Amino acid sequence: MTLQSEIDEIRQIEAEAAPARFARGWHCLGLTRDFGDGKPHAVHAFGQKLVVFRGGDGRINVLDGYCRHMGGDLSQGEVKGDEIACPFHDWRWGGDGRCKKVPYSKRVPRLARTATWTTLEQDGMLFVWNDPERNAPPPEQAIPRIEGATSDEWTDWHWYTTVVNTNCREIIDNVVDMAHFFYIHGSLPTHFKNIFEGHVATQYMNGEGRPDIGDPGESQLLGTTSVASYFGPSFMIDDLTYHYEDADHKTILINCHYPIDANSFVLQYGIIVKKSNALPGDAALQTAIGLGDFVKMGFEQDVEIWKNKARIDNPLLCEEDGPVYQLRRWYQQFYVDIADVQPDMTDRFEYELDTTSPNEEWMKVVEANLAAKSAAGTT
Amino acid sequence: MAVRPDNRLADSPMVPVACSRCGARVLARKSSWNQTTVQWNAEASAACLERRDAENLAAHAGRGLFLACSALSGSILDAVRNGDLPVVDESVRVTT
Repeated sequence: MTLQSEIDEIRQIEAEAAPARFARGWHCLGLTRDFGDGKPHAVHAFGQKLVVFRGGDGRINVLDGYCRHMGGDLSQGEVKGDEIACPFHDWRWGGDGRCKKVPYSKRVPRLARTATWTTLEQDGMLFVWNDPERNAPPPEQAIPRIEGATSDEWTDWHWYTTVVNTNCREIIDNVVDMAHFFYIHGSLPTHFKNIFEGHVATQYMNGEGRPDIGDPGESQLLGTTSVASYFGPSFMIDDLTYHYEDADHKTILINCHYPIDANSFVLQYGIIVKKSNALPGDAALQTAIGLGDFVKMGFEQDVEIWKNKARIDNPLLCEEDGPVYQLRRWYQQFYVDIADVQPDMTDRFEYELDTTSPNEEWMKVVEANLAAKSAAGTT
Repeated sequence: MAVRPDNRLADSPMVPVACSRCGARVLARKSSWNQTTVQWNAEASAACLERRDAENLAAHAGRGLFLACSALSGSILDAVRNGDLPVVDESVRVTT
C-alpha cells in the first residue's frame, strides 16, 4: 500500500556549501616547460596566490606569492641565483621558504619563513603536494611514472588548460557516471566498472564506435578500451586505446585539475600517442592533436552542464547509475585530517554496472538516427 | 560534510557473503544478474589469496590493478543460487 503522503511528497535537492578546505594530495600545476624559464610565475591555487620559479640550481620551487616583509607580490619579482627577490625591497626567499638575505640589512629577522609546497618534476609535469596539516607526502601516494612520456616512441605532451567556474567535485563525479558518456559525449559504453581502494579510484570502460556520429580519424572507429585512475584527489591517468579496423592507437590521456578556490578550478588535460607502423611520427602527432581536440570538445560539453547545474549532495540514483555516493565517500578522505580518515573511505569497493538495459535503449536511439540520416540522404 | 547514504540501499541493502576459498567476508549486492557491488574491509583484503598473488605479480605489471577475485565472484553467484543474496531486479518487481 502506498500512502497518500508519499505520493504527494516532493524530492528536495540538498546541498551544503562547497568545502572551504582544499584537498590533501599531489596536484599537477602544468608542464615543467611552462615554468622552467627562470622567471617567476603566478599561480592561483588552494585559495591563494603562489609563485613558481626555477632557481639557478635548476630546482622548481613553489612559495606563497606574497613577501612576509611588506606583502610585495613575489610573482612580479626576479629570480636572483637560487632565490626569488621581492620587487618591493629585494628581500630574497629560498625554495625552502626561508628568507636568505635582506640586502640592505645586516641581519634577517626571526621567523622570516613563508609557506612552501613540496614539488615534484616528473614525466614533463610539475606537481605540488598540498596538505592543510603540512605533513610530507607519503611515498605510497607517489604519482606513478608514465612510461611513454619520456620515450621517443611516443609523441610529446599535447596539453590544454582552461578555467572552470564550479567546485571540482563535479569533475570527480564523472568517474562513476556511465550514462552521461552517451548523453553528453556521444559515446556508447558497453562495459563499465569502478574500483576504489586506498587513494586510487579507477574506472574501467569499454565503448563501441557510434555509427550515427562522425568519429575522429579517417577509418571507422570500432571501439575504445579505457582504464582511468585518479591517483589522489586530482590527477587521473587514462590508458586509452582506440581500436580501428586497421590498427590500435595507444594513447595516454591525463585529466587533472587544481582548485583556484571553492568555486573554481583549473582543468588541464594532456595527451601522448604511441607511434607505430600504422602511425609513424607525424601521423602520431596529428592523431594526438586530433584526439586532443576531440577530448577538448568532450570537456566543453561537461563544462556546459556544470555551468548550469545545481550542486547536489543527495542525487536520486537508479540501478543503472554508478556508485556516486561511494565515490564521494572515497573523495572525502582528502578533505579530512589524516586522523579522521575512516576505513570505509579507503577500503576496497567494486561496482560493476549492468549495461544491458542502457545499451538496448541507446541502440534504439542510434538506429533512429541512422534511419533519419538515410532518409535525409535519399531525399 | 558527511556523505549521504545511497538511496538504492534503502530498499535493498548490502548482504554479507563469505568466500568459499579463503573465507574472506565481504558485503555484496546485485541489482541484476550482471550488476555486482562488493564492499571489502581490511580483514577481507588481507585474507584474499588471489589478491596476494596479484600483488606478487604487480611489480611486473605496470600500475598493477587487481580487477576481481574469481573465487569470490563464484561465491557471490552461489549465494544468489542458494537464495542468500537477492537480486533486486527479480525481487522488486514494479510495486504499484
